[in-house]
Amino acid sequence: MHQILLVGFYGLITALATGLGAVPFAFVKRISGRTAALANALAAGLMLGASFGLLAEGSRHGAPQTILGANVGLLFVLLAHRWIGHGDVSFGEVTGAGARRMLLIVLVMTVHSFSEGVAVGAAFGGGTELAFLITVAIAVHNVPEGLAISAVLRPEGTSVLACAGWSVFSSLPQPLMAVPAYLLVETIHPALPYGIGFAAGAMVFMVFLELLPEAFEDAPRWLIGILTSGSMTVMLLFQRIL
Amino acid sequence: MHPAIVTLLASSAAATASALGVLPLVGRARVPERWIGWANALAGGMMFGTAFALGAVEGEAAVPAAIGTLVGILFIAWTHAATGTEDLSLNRLGETGPEYGYRVALVQTLHAGSEGIAIGAAMTVDLPFGLFTAATMAVHNIPEVTVLAAVQRSRSVSLATAALTGVATNVPQVFVAVATYAIVSAAPGTLSWVLGLATGMLANLVLVELLPESYRQAGHTSIAVVASAALAMVALLIGWVG
Ligand SMILES: [Zn+2]
Ligand SMILES: [Zn+2]
Repeated sequence: MHQILLVGFYGLITALATGLGAVPFAFVKRISGRTAALANALAAGLMLGASFGLLAEGSRHGAPQTILGANVGLLFVLLAHRWIGHGDVSFGEVTGAGARRMLLIVLVMTVHSFSEGVAVGAAFGGGTELAFLITVAIAVHNVPEGLAISAVLRPEGTSVLACAGWSVFSSLPQPLMAVPAYLLVETIHPALPYGIGFAAGAMVFMVFLELLPEAFEDAPRWLIGILTSGSMTVMLLFQRIL
Repeated sequence: MHPAIVTLLASSAAATASALGVLPLVGRARVPERWIGWANALAGGMMFGTAFALGAVEGEAAVPAAIGTLVGILFIAWTHAATGTEDLSLNRLGETGPEYGYRVALVQTLHAGSEGIAIGAAMTVDLPFGLFTAATMAVHNIPEVTVLAAVQRSRSVSLATAALTGVATNVPQVFVAVATYAIVSAAPGTLSWVLGLATGMLANLVLVELLPESYRQAGHTSIAVVASAALAMVALLIGWVG
């Protein structure tokens, strides 16, 4: 297969894997306020773990650039939050604060996939073998991210299928960005730490702004502490052994 | 100088620096509740950053570190449950019951012990990283004592006593830091585990002690900005230290 097609194909597989994150919610029948709070705590931990992984990865390319990117990411979410907060937002049937949180998580996760797509594409410069490994790693890494998105969407009444759909949607930038990144790897390389930092900053800020306060609303804090820091640890381990 | 002495001096300096936390209360008996929220978020963001730094030490075995982290998380949950403080609000202003004072002091002591493990473990990694961790903890202690002093001032405790209590609650940090350093340098095989342990303890402490009340005290957006910026600052500095 032509190398460029292969890059796009690998990227597509990683995107589809994200949809698997919705699967656990097929087995949860009724979602109470407390379950929703705990789902948000779970999403918070997974996203913290993912962004800590990104911060470590970005720092290898340049810590100041990564942190600069992270601050821009923070600002981006802050502005998006303001902007979404002003109008009457709706997401499917949902309106108000729930819809805002749903829009934000889809937006933040989609934006973070851009920089991961660049990472996939850039990795192809290192040979097909390495690229295959990285594709598998990112595909597996996407599953809990789909879980994080579904954990926010599902308690608001989104169907499991739609959760899977939005999860895949959030990862579509991966194949889209992988190809140009592969072609322009030399040009893109210096921008990598900024992009990685941007993704990490946006996710961390999203966690502090929306997910944790929502979790603290309806569940005891000891349980949130265990769930969030526990899922963060598992996510970090996951990324390190892959 | 022997590293154990450095550990002793650095953690003592970190404990003593916490007295600066009473400064915002000079000349006023009460601070606005928002300030308490921001102080909590500042301390929390820095602590998350330290947890990230401890969890990201290069070359440590991933699985023992993750197991250690989970043990640390559960240990914090267990100490809170065992002392009946899992739902204790740490920022109650105007609460003058002596029992409340003891319980807050107990929680602070356990909290400072966990920070001692972090400093001691970091010192065994290498000196710059140890000093970095001690310095981060020193700065982190300051807003923590601001919160503690605000609670005490609302119980009509004098400023000097509040400063002394602040330092006193951080003394366990010194003992535990030196003990951890001694244990880990005697048995270097435990380093991955102990680093993990400290990571889990710090992450869980942020979630159960520092963040839950801050959102109510100062509002979601400003808390998210302060906490993420503090985290980013620590991450930037750690990139510098190496
Ligand atoms: Zn990701
Ligand atoms: Zn502390």
